[in-house]
Amino acid sequence: MKLIQSICILLLFLLCTFALGQQEQAVTNIDNTKLSERQHYRVTFTSKLDPIVINTMHAWIIQIENKTGEPVLNADINVVGGMPEHNHGLPTRPQVTKNLGDGCYLLEGLKFHMSGWWQITIAILDNEISDTVTFDLQLQN
Amino acid sequence: MPQLYRSYAVALISIAALLSSVWYFTTSNPSSMWTTGEINILRSLWINSLPPLPPDTSNSVADHPLAAQFGYQLYFDPRLSANGKISCATCHQAELFFSDGLKVAVGAMKGTRNSMSLIGAAYSPWQFWDGRKDSLWSQALSPLENSLEHAGSRMQYAHLISQDQHYYDIYEKLFGSLPNFSDRIRFPPAAGPVSKKAWNDAWQSMSVKDQETVTKVFVNIGKSINAYERLLLPGPSRFDVYANAIINNDITAMSTLNRNEVTGLKLFIGKAQCINCHNGPLFTNNEFHNTGILSSPGQLPSMGRAAGVKKVRNDTLNCLGTFSDTSNGDCAELRFTRIGDELIGAHKVPSLRNVAKTNPYMHAGQLEDLAAVIDHYNRAPVAMVGHNEIKPLNLNAFEMQQLEAFLQTLTGPPSIDSKWLKRPEG
Repeated sequence: MKLIQSICILLLFLLCTFALGQQEQAVTNIDNTKLSERQHYRVTFTSKLDPIVINTMHAWIIQIENKTGEPVLNADINVVGGMPEHNHGLPTRPQVTKNLGDGCYLLEGLKFHMSGWWQITIAILDNEISDTVTFDLQLQN
Repeated sequence: MPQLYRSYAVALISIAALLSSVWYFTTSNPSSMWTTGEINILRSLWINSLPPLPPDTSNSVADHPLAAQFGYQLYFDPRLSANGKISCATCHQAELFFSDGLKVAVGAMKGTRNSMSLIGAAYSPWQFWDGRKDSLWSQALSPLENSLEHAGSRMQYAHLISQDQHYYDIYEKLFGSLPNFSDRIRFPPAAGPVSKKAWNDAWQSMSVKDQETVTKVFVNIGKSINAYERLLLPGPSRFDVYANAIINNDITAMSTLNRNEVTGLKLFIGKAQCINCHNGPLFTNNEFHNTGILSSPGQLPSMGRAAGVKKVRNDTLNCLGTFSDTSNGDCAELRFTRIGDELIGAHKVPSLRNVAKTNPYMHAGQLEDLAAVIDHYNRAPVAMVGHNEIKPLNLNAFEMQQLEAFLQTLTGPPSIDSKWLKRPEG
């Protein structure tokens, strides 16, 4: 019985080690629809570059709905970002350059210059109601 | 029951033996040293991952073969200097991978900045250590009028083009009619927005229209040099042969790097964190980081990108300026530049291709060799200005040597016909 237990433990060890050795670097895709911090807005954040690669300037679409699901048509939007583990921000200053209508906005000038964990925070102001939403993103080389 | 246990035991032992065999086989194969994720990183660094050069929309002759030929001749021509002795090739020497082996450049006088290699520079949206230029053509013009470097003036260079019949002909083929500069009252022998008072006074005495005419010729000199510099692309190194072997499971070619070098590569993409900034097939993200480099003796600490970003935004020769060929909507890099305290003391991340041949290192050549660079990053001292982004790496002496061994594998001849590397005849 002890022999079987020992073999099982050995097997389990082997399997775990083997699996760990073969594990790929995790790719965490962005959860691209989120409620804002104070739940005033539902925000969908979609990259126009797919897949997202580092060192490449690209644009995103920000889609905003209010609590009742209606599009937010004339929001003031400010976007900042950075790498919490590296204590630095984005290499660029992205800006909303176009109101696309139907609650959609074009964000241009976003670039990531390292692989790893990035956070993008979108501040939204509409009819004096301000709120923020933060998206997490894991990028590979 | 005991028989059943025995059967279980035999089955489990067989599975264990099978797994052990697979394990042994994979670990004895060099490619198995790398996980799939790591192989993806090697692929990202591999020279075959280098995309085609992005178009330079600010320069309509950037990819014109005749402009490259013209630029090649201008690049090596010492007449593009006040004393007739300094050319671009003085500080960017082909045999030194387009650097000069000095701490700081020496042109007409000793300068303040280390000469960066030009190989692969056309991929970068920013030029100079502080990124104060946003194109190769605008960058190439700056030393021509810098009193420490070529020390000449744009008017002098416009006269050279108009007086040298070969240059005159090639210029007109590329850019159309060359203005007549023979009136020495309107167009003095030397004039430009330079530090030398007499030449600056001469420049200020010219009409705005004549200034623009001269500047246009000056800019076209830069755009032609830019076309030549776009040919200066990196070639494969021993690292690339190894990466190719790993990616394509070519077991014979996996011995291209020795154990020390492979371990150094592991450190480069892992514990030493070099890949954070030195990423992609050029081993640079072409951005700016403060890594706590000490200022050069006798110099104030450099503000780096914090100063450079202001200069490039206000530069009349930038992508958005009237001398740029860009149409509306381009110049994204310039339009979305950031400012902020993070940029204080931040300098450009250089490519590590051919790094073993381009010492000394850092913006003023503060670090003599690769060992000194690795030691600096291992210690991560407090920055003199701004904030040092790096943290101590805790590499031991063996690891530091292995990392250096890997960096030695990044050397490879430029991917360009050797005729472009020699001074033009005649």
